Amino acid sequence: MSGEIHVAFIGNPNCGKTTLFNAYTGAKLKVANWPGVTVEKKEGAFRYHNQQFRLVDLPGIYSLTSYTMEEKLSRQYILEDEVDVILDVIDASCLERNLYLALQLIELGKPVVLALNMMDIVRQRGMEIDTHRLPEMLGVPAIPVSARKKTGLDVLMHTVAHHADGHGDIPLEHHHGDKQTAHKHNHHKEYVVVYSDEIEDKIDILQERLLEKWPDMVNPRWHAIKLLEQDEEVMKNHPIETADVIQRSYETDIINQKYDFIEEVVEECLFHKDAKSEKTDRIDKILTHPVAGLPVFLAIMALVFFFTFTIGDFIKGGFEMALEWFSGAVAGLLASIHVNPGLQSLILDGVIAGVGGILTFLPNIFILFLALALLEDSGYMSRVAYVMDGIMGKLGLSGRAFIPMLLGFGCTVPAIMASRALEDPKDRLKTILITPFMSCSARLPIYVLFSSMFFGKHAMIAAYSMYVIGLGVAILSALVMRLFDHRRAEHTLLIELPEFKRPSAYTIFIYVWEKIKDYLSKAGTTIFIASIIVWALLNFGPGGMVEMGDQRSFGAMIGQVLTPILRPAGLGYWQVVVSLIAGIAAKEVVVSSMGILYGINNINSPKGMEAMVAALGAAGFTGLNAYAMMVFCLLYIPCAATIGAIRKETNSWKWTAFSILFQLGVAYVMAVLVYQIGSAILLWR
Amino acid sequence: MTLLQGTVGKTYQVKEIRLEEAVARRLQMLGLLSGTSIEVLNKKRSGGVIFKVRGIRYAIGKHIAQGILLGGGEA
Repeated sequence: MSGEIHVAFIGNPNCGKTTLFNAYTGAKLKVANWPGVTVEKKEGAFRYHNQQFRLVDLPGIYSLTSYTMEEKLSRQYILEDEVDVILDVIDASCLERNLYLALQLIELGKPVVLALNMMDIVRQRGMEIDTHRLPEMLGVPAIPVSARKKTGLDVLMHTVAHHADGHGDIPLEHHHGDKQTAHKHNHHKEYVVVYSDEIEDKIDILQERLLEKWPDMVNPRWHAIKLLEQDEEVMKNHPIETADVIQRSYETDIINQKYDFIEEVVEECLFHKDAKSEKTDRIDKILTHPVAGLPVFLAIMALVFFFTFTIGDFIKGGFEMALEWFSGAVAGLLASIHVNPGLQSLILDGVIAGVGGILTFLPNIFILFLALALLEDSGYMSRVAYVMDGIMGKLGLSGRAFIPMLLGFGCTVPAIMASRALEDPKDRLKTILITPFMSCSARLPIYVLFSSMFFGKHAMIAAYSMYVIGLGVAILSALVMRLFDHRRAEHTLLIELPEFKRPSAYTIFIYVWEKIKDYLSKAGTTIFIASIIVWALLNFGPGGMVEMGDQRSFGAMIGQVLTPILRPAGLGYWQVVVSLIAGIAAKEVVVSSMGILYGINNINSPKGMEAMVAALGAAGFTGLNAYAMMVFCLLYIPCAATIGAIRKETNSWKWTAFSILFQLGVAYVMAVLVYQIGSAILLWR
Repeated sequence: MTLLQGTVGKTYQVKEIRLEEAVARRLQMLGLLSGTSIEVLNKKRSGGVIFKVRGIRYAIGKHIAQGILLGGGEA
């Protein structure tokens, strides 16, 4: 075959599909969103024996129905796009359930290759799979691989290449015991799954009608089956007269009969399937313990934040020294070649102060994402949904809603996207509205800066408290929203708990690298541009170029308009107002803007902080103001990208506008409360 | 009896699923069909249940646990 072979990776959630995909493409993959939706689309290329492959990673799904967006998307992509081969990744240690999707894929009529992943775990648990009999029964190749140990990868792609042009189909060989039929539908040599005579009769009629209307339809059998299941999409796109054939939905029958066949396959191909997975049972005894589960989870999270702050800050020190040296070197260089003072100021006070200050937070963010990746890849994340289900139920949410909230500690944008795993639209909306209160890693620089400037040895407690306040506000908001939701509270949690496994270093590396890359590119784009704009606003006014910090700059003018409104919150300083506005672009910009506003180009160094405290203190900005500022930053709009994600996920401008106003309102009220109550206490003492 | 009333450590057979169409379908696709063996692994006071079907563990909330009817007694 010439040209590139287009391979679609598909499989159940937790089947190791992404690990396998990464094993082929490495970190060089293109991540984008599917058009119109926020489901991630991953694409990569791979070359093997002079054959170019284009690999596309489809979302993890359990079946090919059209109930969820992920399912619809995968199905459409396979049906319409020029997919040459469907690569179905199967978790061989859960063969039974994984075969359900496989049968649906085979029914589509396109070339399918099965990758029997996790063969190492199958062996470890003492199970055995007859890899010769399995392809005979399914009519498609099944290649044992281990994505984690990178075994079988070449054989798999080799099979894909051979299978792409339609050759290499394996003759079906079924025994079916006494189920062999004398009926005219002896399709057992043609189709993997042959249904009951009643259903096969109907398939015949429907197939004929479909071909009458669409003579070049490639897979009329699949369409006929879908019509019998009363699949919305197929009924809409291929309407034919069915009233005399289909009196009810045959979906349950079809599912049942597929599983009947699966049981036959498992009976013949899988041995020692009752092997216990003692390791997971033992770990689950502690992690999902009815009483101890919650404290264990809280302890794990405390540990995560402890590492994020202590080790992160330790490494950060090195980054700061490097930045200071770099800034000094650039200043020296610029001065020595007599660069225009305006340009010098732009580079030093704008770009280096803005972008550089943000880069020093890389260690904290790296550790936080590393921890989240470990929790996810080990299989613990879905246990959290179970552990939190009772508490979340009291808030009128399913335990599953806690996963987006937990991811919110990393970054709000993917967290909001993760809310799509919730089926109920109202649950989803509530989760989207409260997730932004979970303090994301971009807000961390603000806490670290202000708490180390003003709270000395209590800095860590001050920073920790932000996470608690954020969680508290989220819980309170959920409770308030519950008052407006008059439905009977229903716990609809349904989540798979995968086997615990040692996290794969490679998968973790790719995950963390993607986040770090995002962070860096944000520093290079959004924060870079915001830094320049802030610098420009502060250095120019109606009367032309002004001195930094001058009251006649555009920035000062904008800030002064809003100053009176923010005064009750202790934030009535035009510089603070300007950085808060700039912070809507991205939260880190608050820090970079403060650096630019006060002309400090290494804001995180002890010297830089001293200068900042002095400048702020001179204007009457004390620890209480700093705390109010932290609270405000915790709660108001996380970033422009979050607004975009909320718009996409809610698909409503009304709810997007509501969430913006809601966040601004909550942030303002909370900051005012902190400042006013705090002032009263200080006065009274 | 329902799954909610099942005893931890025991294996039962699914008799019927009495839930909203969409949830019932999803359970069926995961292989919870009448006659399927189901093992109860964990239960919480709030009504959460962890069970195992066809070699895979799932966690569900009270609402779904109440909708899965068990029969056939202990297998």
